[in-house]
Amino acid sequence: MIDLFRTTAVRWALGIALWSTAMTLALFGFVYWQTAPFVQDELAHVVRHEVLYAAQQPDAAGTRVEAWIREDLHSVHFGGVFGPDGSRQAGNIDALPRDLPPDGEVRRIGTRVAIAGQTLHEELWSAALTLPDGRVVVVAHDTDEIDRARSTVLRALGLALVPMLALSALGGTVLAARGRRRVVATQAAVARLMHGHLNQRLPVHGTNDEFDRLARDVNTLLDEIGRLMEEVRGVGDAVAHDLRTPLTRLRTRLETSRERAESVEEFREAIDQGLAWIDQTLAMVNAVLRIGEIEHGRRRAAFARLDLAGIVAEVAEFHEPVAEEKGVSLRFLPPDAVPSIEGDRDLLFEALSNLVENAVKFTPPGGEVRIGLHDRDAATLIAVEDTGPGVPERERAQVFGRFHRSEPARGSPGNGLGLSLVSAVAQLHGLEVGIGEAPGGGCRVTMVWRRD
Amino acid sequence: MVRARMAASARSRRVGCRRVARLLLIEDDAETAEDVLGDLRGRGHSVEWVATGPEGGSAARRGDWNAIILDRMLPGLDGLSVLQELRRTGDRTPALVLSALGDVDERIRGLRAGGDDYLAKPFALGELAARIEALLRRPVETRETVLRVGGLELDLVAGSGRRGTRDLDLLPRELRLLDYLMRRHGQVVTRAMLFEEVWNYRFVPKSNLIDVHVGRLRRKLEAGGEPALIHNVRGVGFTLSADD
Repeated sequence: MIDLFRTTAVRWALGIALWSTAMTLALFGFVYWQTAPFVQDELAHVVRHEVLYAAQQPDAAGTRVEAWIREDLHSVHFGGVFGPDGSRQAGNIDALPRDLPPDGEVRRIGTRVAIAGQTLHEELWSAALTLPDGRVVVVAHDTDEIDRARSTVLRALGLALVPMLALSALGGTVLAARGRRRVVATQAAVARLMHGHLNQRLPVHGTNDEFDRLARDVNTLLDEIGRLMEEVRGVGDAVAHDLRTPLTRLRTRLETSRERAESVEEFREAIDQGLAWIDQTLAMVNAVLRIGEIEHGRRRAAFARLDLAGIVAEVAEFHEPVAEEKGVSLRFLPPDAVPSIEGDRDLLFEALSNLVENAVKFTPPGGEVRIGLHDRDAATLIAVEDTGPGVPERERAQVFGRFHRSEPARGSPGNGLGLSLVSAVAQLHGLEVGIGEAPGGGCRVTMVWRRD
Repeated sequence: MVRARMAASARSRRVGCRRVARLLLIEDDAETAEDVLGDLRGRGHSVEWVATGPEGGSAARRGDWNAIILDRMLPGLDGLSVLQELRRTGDRTPALVLSALGDVDERIRGLRAGGDDYLAKPFALGELAARIEALLRRPVETRETVLRVGGLELDLVAGSGRRGTRDLDLLPRELRLLDYLMRRHGQVVTRAMLFEEVWNYRFVPKSNLIDVHVGRLRRKLEAGGEPALIHNVRGVGFTLSADD
């Protein structure tokens, strides 16, 4: 039970009930405050009028007071004419009320009156005026009507309050229960997630309220986590796969050499082959570790102001002999003058080197690789274009992921980490890296540094 | 690791004259130390091994070493502190810093502390041996502008090379490559060393890129049918040695 009162749902229900009760009370208070004075003002107006009327003709004052009393069927009209000495000359009020100044203003006083031969004490709204001859005329009206109006309003309030309270408690409970149902549903979904059902998503009701929006945000977050986990799993699988192939080969080779090799030369050859496979494997493991290191931004100590054109020219020069051997022409287009960049020259060289290496690798003999350094709209742009087969549009988003290898690359050497490194280096330097189509159908990779 | 021993035997056949050096190895990992000791002793060096920082510091001060190899992480006293302390006393013994941290930042820290070279683990023993050799036989800074190895002549001022009477048509990068190889003739230089010293970049490029550059230079050197000057050292790198 205590727990029940701690739940947001019950607190909300109570809160809503209390709040609507307070609102109802305020509303009734306002109605009461507005109604009672209105009735009272009406009455005062009549009484003020009547006393003036009676006093208009001093001779007829008595008659007029008597008429005022007579026209009343409910014994609510009172009046009297009193001599200067205070003796009653007409009317049904016993004696001139002492605390009633004869100024024509309406006041509430208590006095003794005679009704149907009985003498009663009554609360009256009365007004008095002095006639020229010293007599005093009093006209009064019972206060019961006003009191009745007041008590009616109060009773109505009292009667309404109970169902009101019940209704608002009910409404609060319903609202809170609805909220609670959604919380329970969400809790259930979260519990499933915690138990490893990572495809579970939080329920969305389609009402687009803040609850829905929150659930949708959490779902987007879960999607992103799922995607990253897939990627990590993919990387893990790829590493395992790429390790297994050379290790299996190595094992087979060692086994057969042990059985069959006869001479030292043959053993040596087997060992050299094994070393080459181990080196290839180590290079891959190192590449994965380095990319991680760069992605974590732990390599900023070597940052300095760099001349990009110089680095690009050296990259071009570095790859020129390989391109020439393959019959691919490698051109470094005349660069624009670009401002120096803050960066790590080794990493930038390596990233650009990977781009150029890829371009040369995928360009058939007789083709061309163009390296450009441009300055446009407050941005520095490095572009590497080739006349190879290009990257199909649907694959472009994935090529920077780890271990991605496009179809034509499957048969060639490489580990699918080159562009991951490019992407990591670009990220470290705040460069945007993009892939598209070169004029002529090849691949065009760009690194853009926006200076604004 | 095994490859280095292979390389050692391959190299000992080619490289005739070699100085025996006194080396100090400060390394806490016994397995690495044993590999390094075995390899360097196999090359004819005399190597002493200590495993902690404080021991390393006193051994370094005590001995007359040709070179010191020290690990970055050591029990007791950090390798870089040992090195800094040594440099403060004016000891300029060439030092190579080993580290499990391959980070560029770490390398810079190592060099700043007074290291002459830096090598990240895991490394090939051949790479370490070649770098030690390079430290031991650092070419004397000379004002000489013409280098000569056998019949090969390189004029650094004119930027031209000759083999015998034949003029060589060399690109600027080939000049620098030849310059480096000639100053270190008879030594094994690794691809990483070439890339660092000739191209001035630090990372391990795909091996065939350096090989293609060296191959092109080699073809120019041998275009007249002369005997080979640049030799491959299998699994390690290259060496330029005069035909004798």
